[in-house]
Amino acid sequence: MAPVLELIGVTKAFGGLTAVNDMSLTVEKGEIVSIIGPNGSGKTTVFNLVTGIYEPDSGDILLEGESIAGLRSDQIQMKGVSRTFQMLRLFSGMTVLENILVGMHSRTKTRLFGAMFRMPWVTREEKQAVAKAQEILAFFPGRFSGPRQGQPAASLSYANRRRLELARALACDPKILLLDEPVAGMNPAESLEVMEQIRELRDRGNTILMIEHDMKVVLGASDRLIAMDHGVKIAEGDPQTVANDSLVVEAYLGRRGSSAAS
Amino acid sequence: MAKSGDKKRGPIGTALGRVPRWVYLLAALLLAAFFPLLQTSGFMDMLWIRVAIRSLTFVLLALGLNVVMGETGLLNLGYVAFFAIGSYTTALLSSPSLGFHWSFWPLLLLSMALAMVGGLLVGLPTLRLRGDYLAIVTLAFGEIVRTVFLNATTITNGAAGIPAIYPPHIFGWVVDQPVEFYYLILVFVVLVVVALTNVKNSRVGRAWNALREDEIAAVHSGINSTQAKILAMVISAGVAGLAGCLFAYYQQFINPTYFVFTQSVIVVCMVVLGGMGSIPGAALGAIVLDALPDLIRATFSDWLPSVFGPTFMSRWPMWLQSFFTDFEKYRMLLFGIVVVLVVIFRPEGLLPDHLWRAETHEEDPREQERTRQSLFDIEEGTQDLEA
Repeated sequence: MAPVLELIGVTKAFGGLTAVNDMSLTVEKGEIVSIIGPNGSGKTTVFNLVTGIYEPDSGDILLEGESIAGLRSDQIQMKGVSRTFQMLRLFSGMTVLENILVGMHSRTKTRLFGAMFRMPWVTREEKQAVAKAQEILAFFPGRFSGPRQGQPAASLSYANRRRLELARALACDPKILLLDEPVAGMNPAESLEVMEQIRELRDRGNTILMIEHDMKVVLGASDRLIAMDHGVKIAEGDPQTVANDSLVVEAYLGRRGSSAAS
Repeated sequence: MAKSGDKKRGPIGTALGRVPRWVYLLAALLLAAFFPLLQTSGFMDMLWIRVAIRSLTFVLLALGLNVVMGETGLLNLGYVAFFAIGSYTTALLSSPSLGFHWSFWPLLLLSMALAMVGGLLVGLPTLRLRGDYLAIVTLAFGEIVRTVFLNATTITNGAAGIPAIYPPHIFGWVVDQPVEFYYLILVFVVLVVVALTNVKNSRVGRAWNALREDEIAAVHSGINSTQAKILAMVISAGVAGLAGCLFAYYQQFINPTYFVFTQSVIVVCMVVLGGMGSIPGAALGAIVLDALPDLIRATFSDWLPSVFGPTFMSRWPMWLQSFFTDFEKYRMLLFGIVVVLVVIFRPEGLLPDHLWRAETHEEDPREQERTRQSLFDIEEGTQDLEA
């Protein structure tokens, strides 16, 4: 069976800067793969390429063997690629429940005329969608219970907003979930909780590709690790091995013996 | 949470907030339904029926504009163009000027359809634009449409306009009295409110709101932004086409001066005043802004003199007297003042969408207190869980 996600020699340049250079990676079903690398190494650009914000200059991106390069973001999401953002992007004026329902947009069918006249099938679909949204929110026990579902997303605490974004990404039953720094800005206890949840998602059969700086989370959750620097993949494999790879250490800390000023 | 919410509202607000929403809707509907009885029983001048018809026409326009501006977050400064298209369609096909006499329903549908085509035409090339740029393009579209109607003299009779529009026949009922028009428009207002409320609370409306809140996140939730925005544009144009059709029938005469840029601005003001994205807000904003100048004029030239005697203003300077008795002239001044006051004191509008309010008040210290309170709740919740 084809891997869930496969990048083959993907290159993306902005003017003279090659943000991602000849990048190849695969993510197999039921796997958690993390991408690490210093700031500006092209990790988020990889996500943006996969989710259709950018189109690759060369190379191909395959979802279960089918090319998705060059499709629009909403088409890619429809095919089953869901993501969260490094900087939270919630629909802050909409309620918690509505945020999830928007996440289900591609899995529901109501069209204008059905909605306008509130046809029986529209009411039925709406009911099912709300029930499923509540089921998804129940993945975060105690966080989105009862009246909180009717509150605007803006009123949530930071950690809950992050959780809500994750819940929204899960709402479409994605084939692969792209998490861009899921624990950024969280305290250590919250980070560990999220890490556990990411593992639980994997155990439920989800496939996850994530970018993360928190090495505790990266080492604790990932099945495989990919390190990037200056748009190039510099190491890949078992988390411990990659984390101790000399090229990776050098990318983060600089070459041993060279002065900081140079 | 409920407690801190109440604190913010104050005692009267709390009491009003406890009344279920359907009570307000029913009250508004009953008031609207029995309003003309005031005239037939002699309590009220026919003038007020005319004011009410005009206000209801603006209610339709505000409801329609609210779809693009309030729900989807696209500023349209040429909205009156769609109103004009609807009006001219009706006027040309139901008057002696070209010799057509279409019946009401086909003409109503055609007016809406052509306005929607207009919405599609302006939407397709421009919806990549955002904010100010979209506003400029739509503004230009509004002016172009008006100029075309002004200069296509062989068809539209130019500035002289189209007179003698036939009254509509609806299932054998000839609508030619103001009170009859009032009810006709009221029925359409109710239908539009119901339809738009249904859409707003559906997948389609949520997609619009999501685009307004964060377009990138919306697109990554599988929303086709171009399609959704064009749909919003077309629906909103259709409502304006409907309003235009009814307006032409009622007015019996139209010319391009009814469709000037200021009309678009007034409708924008109505939506802002009522509360962006709020359907009851748009309706209330339209009624308040449209009827207020007439109310002020009537207060000073009819009602106050009848209470305090006709000379109660005689010691006021002339300019002040004429300011109030000729208040119609100062409509635009009033609109400006009202909008400035709303933006300063109640940025979420008179009847805000509960969602919209949360967004505009993020800097409000009381709102922050509420957020802090909810944070506190969460911390407590965590402790409960861990215990």
